[in-house]
Amino acid sequence: MVELIEAVIRGLGRGSVYALLALGFVIIFKATRVISFAQPAFMLAGVVMVTYLVGPLGFWGALAVATILTGLLALGVERTAVRPMVGRPAFVVAIITLGVDIVVRVIVNAFIGINVRQVGDPWGLSTFNLGAVSVEKRHVAVLVVAALLVAGLFAYFRYTRMGLAMRAASYDQETALAQGVSVGSVFAVSWAMAGGLAAVAGTFAATGESVDGLMWLIALTALPVIILGGLDSLAGAVIGGLIVGVLQEIVASYQSSMPWLGGNVSIITPYVVMLLVLLIRPYGLFGTREVERV
Amino acid sequence: MDTRPHLLENLAILLLKGITVRKFLAIALVAAVSLTACRGGETKTDDAGVKTDVGVTKEPCPEAIDKNKGCIYLGIISDLTEGPFKALAVPITDAQKAFWKRVNQQGGIGGYEVDVTKNIKDNKYNPQVHKEVYDSMKSGILALAQTLGSPTTAAILADLKANNIVAAPASWTSAWAFEDVIIESGANYCFESMNALDYAAETYKSKSVLAVHYAGDYGDDAAAGAKIAAAKLGMTFSHVKTDAGGDKQAGAIAEVVTKNPDLVILTVGPAETGAIVGQAAARGFKGRFIGTSPTFNPALLASAAAPAIIGLYEQSVPWNSWSTDSAGHKAMRDSLTGVTPSEGYTSGWVWSYPLKAALKKAADNKDLTRAGLLAAVKSLDSVDYEGMLPGGAGNFKAGVAGQIKATGIYKPDPTAPTGGKRVKDLYVGPTAQSYTLDAPCFGKL
Amino acid sequence: MISRSRIGRPLLYTSYGSDMGLFNTLSKKVSVALLILVALALPLILEDKWLSLLAICCVAAIGAIGLGLVTGYAGQVSLGHAFFLGIGAYTSAVISGDPDRRLLGLGITEVLIWLPAAGLVALLAGVLVAPLAARLRGLYLAIVTLGLVFIGQHIFGEWDALTGGTGQGRPPAKLELFGYDLSATDSAGSRDQKLFWVMALLLIVFALAARNIARSKVGRAFNAIRDRDIAAGVIGVNLARYKTVAFAISSFYAGCAGALLYTIIGWIEPSAFSLLLSVQYIAMVLIGGAGTISGAIAGAFFITLLPTLTRMLQPLIPFVSAEQTRIPNIFQVETILYGALIIAFLIFEPRGLFGLWIRVRTYWKTWPFSY
Repeated sequence: MVELIEAVIRGLGRGSVYALLALGFVIIFKATRVISFAQPAFMLAGVVMVTYLVGPLGFWGALAVATILTGLLALGVERTAVRPMVGRPAFVVAIITLGVDIVVRVIVNAFIGINVRQVGDPWGLSTFNLGAVSVEKRHVAVLVVAALLVAGLFAYFRYTRMGLAMRAASYDQETALAQGVSVGSVFAVSWAMAGGLAAVAGTFAATGESVDGLMWLIALTALPVIILGGLDSLAGAVIGGLIVGVLQEIVASYQSSMPWLGGNVSIITPYVVMLLVLLIRPYGLFGTREVERV
Repeated sequence: MDTRPHLLENLAILLLKGITVRKFLAIALVAAVSLTACRGGETKTDDAGVKTDVGVTKEPCPEAIDKNKGCIYLGIISDLTEGPFKALAVPITDAQKAFWKRVNQQGGIGGYEVDVTKNIKDNKYNPQVHKEVYDSMKSGILALAQTLGSPTTAAILADLKANNIVAAPASWTSAWAFEDVIIESGANYCFESMNALDYAAETYKSKSVLAVHYAGDYGDDAAAGAKIAAAKLGMTFSHVKTDAGGDKQAGAIAEVVTKNPDLVILTVGPAETGAIVGQAAARGFKGRFIGTSPTFNPALLASAAAPAIIGLYEQSVPWNSWSTDSAGHKAMRDSLTGVTPSEGYTSGWVWSYPLKAALKKAADNKDLTRAGLLAAVKSLDSVDYEGMLPGGAGNFKAGVAGQIKATGIYKPDPTAPTGGKRVKDLYVGPTAQSYTLDAPCFGKL
Repeated sequence: MISRSRIGRPLLYTSYGSDMGLFNTLSKKVSVALLILVALALPLILEDKWLSLLAICCVAAIGAIGLGLVTGYAGQVSLGHAFFLGIGAYTSAVISGDPDRRLLGLGITEVLIWLPAAGLVALLAGVLVAPLAARLRGLYLAIVTLGLVFIGQHIFGEWDALTGGTGQGRPPAKLELFGYDLSATDSAGSRDQKLFWVMALLLIVFALAARNIARSKVGRAFNAIRDRDIAAGVIGVNLARYKTVAFAISSFYAGCAGALLYTIIGWIEPSAFSLLLSVQYIAMVLIGGAGTISGAIAGAFFITLLPTLTRMLQPLIPFVSAEQTRIPNIFQVETILYGALIIAFLIFEPRGLFGLWIRVRTYWKTWPFSY
C-alpha cells in the first residue's frame, strides 16, 4: 500500500512535467491548428540554457531567464518557419516543425558536449517523510510549480485582453480578425508561451538527474497525453498528463512481477493508453468533435 | 493540345536520325569497357621486399613526420557523438591518436608511418551504423585500431573474419577470446564480475546479488560472470535488463529497491549509473554497487547522485588509472599534456599495444598484408605493455587459455585526478582462477 | 505531315490505347529505355561503394513509393512506415535465418519465398491497423501511427528470440535465387554489382506496378479521398475499403523494402525502426513531390545520397571540420541541411523535386514565351 502511494506521488511529479509539455502543444494547437513537433527541441534548449546559467544566476534566476530566452527562440522560429505556411495543410506545417526540431537539436547537442550537465536544482534526490510514505522533494516541487503555472494560465486566459483574444482566435480566426483581434500576435504569443512552458518542464524533468542529448524523448511522451486529453483542451492536457504519469509509475513498480510483458514496459504505457482511449473516444477525453464541412 | 515539338522529342529525333542502332550500340560498348577501368585493387611488393595489399601505401601519411616513409592506414570506429559512452570514447580516440603519433616519432614500423586520423567514424553505439561506417572505410585500411562496443563489433565480425582484418576492440566481452582477428586487452567482463563478487564476498560478506545490465554481449557477459561466481560462492542471484537512458531506469530502480540485495553488479552506462544509484539510495537502499569499468564518469561526482555514489559505489577496472606510476602510464601522460585526465585516455593507450606488437612482427616477417598481419597476431605469445598490464598479458598464441584475468577495484574520490582512488590492485579471484572459459559467457546467462 | 511530326508531338494521341497507356509517346519510351540501359550499365563503371549506396537508394525508393501511395495519393498521413519496414525486415530474416542458432530461423533462403512473405506479413499488419486509421484523420492519424512506431520498437526490442534484442540485432535475410547466391562476389560480378542489378530491376517492377495502380480505379479513388473524403463518400467511394487498400498496399511495399534494405546493409538492429526512419521516408515523399511516383523515387535518391554528397563538400568549406568531435563538423552540417531542406522545400516548392522538374520543363516548353 505504501509502495502504491509512493508510486502515485512519483507519478504525479512526472505527470506534472508531461502536463506542462502538453499544455505547450495544446496552446499552439488551439491558436494555429498545428501540432508543433519542435517542442522537444525547445525543451532541450531551455534545459541546456539553465545548465549554463545556473552558475552565475542560481537555480531560480537561471530558470526565469532560460524561460524567457526559450520563449524568444520559439517566437523566432514561428516568425521564420511557420508564418510563411499560414493557410497550408496542417500536416505539412507539422513536418516543417519536425525539420525545425532536427536543426535546433543538433545545435543544442553541440552545446551539451560529451559530458552530461547538471541543472543545479536545490532538491536533488532528497526526501522527506509523510508518515510511513517517503516522498521526494523534487516531485512535490514540480507539482506545486505546475499547479501555479496552470492557475496562472487559466487566470490569464480568463481575465486579460490578450487571453481573451487568444480564446477568440481559437474559436474562429476569421471572426476574431473581424473583431479587431491581431491574430498574428496571437500566433506569436502562443508559440512563445509554449517555448517557455517547455523550458520549465524540461528543467524539472532534469532535477535529480543529468542532462544529455537523449532527454528529448521525454517530450515525445507528451504526444499521447494530448491525444488522450483532446488536442484542443487545456484541462485535458493537464489531467491527461497526470493520468499518464501516474499510470507509468504504477506500471514501472509492478512490471517486474509480469516479465512476460517485456522489460521496461512502462515506457510504452502512454501509447497503449492512448490507443485504448482512442478506440472508445476518437477525439480524446475532453476534445471537441471535429465538424468537417464539405 | 500542345503539338509543338518538345525538347526531348527533338533530341530523340536527332539521335535516331543521325546514328543507326548498330553504331549506337558499338559506341556504348566501347564507352562501357573503357569506363570499367575506373574500378580498382591487389597485392604488391614494395622496395624493401615487404608484401602489402590493402591499406598500405607508398605515399606518405597526410600528417607524416618523415615524408620518405610510406603509410599504414588504420581505422577507428568509436562512439563519438550520441551514444552512452561518448564521454569515454572521445578520450580513447584521442589517446590512440597520441599513441600512434609517438610510434611515428620513434621511427614508425618497418619503414612505414601509421595513420589513424583519416579513417575515424562515429557508430552512435548502434550495430547497424557501425556496419555502415565500417563498410565505407573497409577498402582503405589494413586493420582497425579501435572498434568500440561489444554488440557493435559483433555485427562486423563475420566480415572481419572473411577479409582477415585484425581489429582491436574497445570492449571486453568474453567472445573475443575465441576470435583470432580480435586483439583484445584486459580481463573480460565475465572474469571482472567474478573478481568483483569474490571481493564483495570477502569484504562485505554479501549473500545476495542482483545484476543490472544492458542487453547484449556487454551486459549479459558481466551478468553471466556474476551468475557463475554466485553459484560458486553460494549467493542468491537474480538479474534485470535495462535500456540506455537515464529516464528509463524506473523498472531497474524498482527492482533494486524491492529485491534489496546485498550487492548490485552494474553493467550499464554512466548516466544510468547516476540514475540507479542515486534514486535507489533516495528510496532507502543501502547495499553495495560495483560497476564494470564503463559505468563510471567523473562528471557523476558533480551530479545530484554524488553522495550516493561516493557512499555506495565502487568500480571494477581492467588496469590501473591515469596517475599510476609505470613506464607506459608515464609515456601516456607525457604524450597527452594539457588534457583533463580521464580513464578513457588510459584505456585507448593500453588497447593500442597489441596492434603495435603485431605490426612490428608482421613487418619483421616482411608481410604487411592483411593475412600476414593476422598470422603475426596468432604468433604473439606476449606483448610489451610497458608495465600497464602484468607480465604474461597479450598471449594470443595460447588462445583462450592465455586470457588475462586480473581486475582492480577503485572507489569514487572527488580529489583524485580521474575521480577514482585505488582500493585493490590488480588481482585474480579464486573463482576466475579456477574457471575455464569454454564458450562466451553471455550464452550462459 | 502526320508520320514525321507525330514523333515531335507528345500530347497528340491518335488511339484510345495510347491515351490510356503508360508509355504512350515515343519520347517517353526512349527516355525510359535509356534510363534502364544506363542503370544496367552503371555497375560496370562505378566503384563498389557507390553501387551499394545506389542500391540502397533503389530500395528506399520502393519504400518511398509505398508511403507515397498512402500519404501522397490517398492523403492518409502515416508516420508509422518504420514499423512496417521493421516487420518486413524481421519476417524475411526469420524465414531465411539459420535454424540452429539462438535466434528464430526457418532456413529458407530462397528470395522468391521470403520477399513476398515479408510483404504479405507487413500487409496483414497494415490491414489490422487500417480500421483504427479509417476512423481518424489528419493529425490524430499522424500521432496514432507514431504511437505504432513506438509500440513496434518496444516489441522488436523485447522479443529477443526474433530480433536479438536492443543494442544487439541479427543478420538479415540471405539473397539466394534457386540456390544461386545473389550477394556473394564471384565471376559474374562483385557483391555490390549484383546487388545493384537486383535492386534496380526490383525497383522498375515495383514502380511500374505502383504507376498502374495509380492510374486505375483504385488510384482515382485514392485521389478522391485525399481531396475531400466526405465528398468522395457521398459520390459512392467506399471510404473504409479504399483506406484499408491504401494501408495494405503501402505496407506491402514497406515490407518488401525493409526486407531488401537490410540485405545490403548487413545487420538489423531494433532501434533502427524509430521515428527518425519514418520521418526520413516522409521527407522523401514530400521533398520528392507528394502524389507522383517519379517524385517519390527522386526524393528517395536525393535523401539517401544527401549525407554522402554533403560529406564530399566538406573540403570546400574551410571552417567545418571532418572530425566528429570538433564543432562545427560536417556531420552536424549534414543534419542541419537535412532539416533545413525539409523546411525549405515545404515553404518554397511544395510540389517538391517533381515540382522543380515541372517548372524547368514548362520554362523550356514555353520558351521564349516563358513569362
